[in-house]
Amino acid sequence: MAAATEGHDTRDVDFAREALPYMDDVYRFAYSLSRNTADAEDLVQETYLRAFRSWHTFQPGSDARRWLFTICRNAFLRSREKRRHEVEVEEGDAESLASLAAPEDARRDGLEQLLSRVDLAPALQRALDELPEPFRSTVMLVDVEDQSYDAASEVLGVPVGTVRSRLFRGRRQLQEKLREYARDAGFASAGTTGKEQTDA
Amino acid sequence: MPENTPKVDCRSAMQQLWDYVDGELTPERMTAVQRHLGECAHCVPHAEFAERFLAALHETRDVRCCPQDLRSRVVAKLKEAGLTVD
Ligand SMILES: [Zn+2]
Repeated sequence: MAAATEGHDTRDVDFAREALPYMDDVYRFAYSLSRNTADAEDLVQETYLRAFRSWHTFQPGSDARRWLFTICRNAFLRSREKRRHEVEVEEGDAESLASLAAPEDARRDGLEQLLSRVDLAPALQRALDELPEPFRSTVMLVDVEDQSYDAASEVLGVPVGTVRSRLFRGRRQLQEKLREYARDAGFASAGTTGKEQTDA
Repeated sequence: MPENTPKVDCRSAMQQLWDYVDGELTPERMTAVQRHLGECAHCVPHAEFAERFLAALHETRDVRCCPQDLRSRVVAKLKEAGLTVD
């Protein structure tokens, strides 16, 4: 019996070793797509079943997470029967990338102080959950799951330039949310506004 | 060495900042931006802020994990589908 299924066993051992350890990662990505626990759980299950069935298409030695994220996103799109018509205003040009939130503002807004807090992660997680698509899944892949622009581009089915511009805009929105949080938490130094805008 | 690395002023350093902290520039540009940051007091706080922001964002990894019962259910489903190991 064991000998008869040996071929399958090797395949299964590979699958278990390569794919199963990433269930946390797939779950986080699934949650960022569906934004609720029940759907995220269904999506993880669906992703792993599809991955198992199409394991023969996985290139040994390539990045299993990238492969799983791609399956997960496709499963999500199919589950929603959602047409891919994301309206993408391309503003990923160098000009807009230069308009980064200045650290002078960050200091005044209490953002820097906030970033040094050890218990910031739950607040940042909430801010990330509230981020609209397509920014949320892009920030999730690159900033939380360490995927390269190239990998994110493949998983999301968009050009690298789109990944770059979504990241820029998503991160800027997150910083805005954190600013509000810093104000609410009393980190912003209200008494020092307006004095330090020296550089244009 | 400076002859064949691209020139980087404050403006261009800021334009390439996110690509730089993400490690997405060509090796030559990475070096050029890094060198600019090494000698520019204006740009350094921007880079440090970007890096701290991204580090904080990365820490959210630990906030959400796959529930243990889901893990068991997925493995059970996979076995139903023919997986012979766990
Ligand atoms: Zn500079």
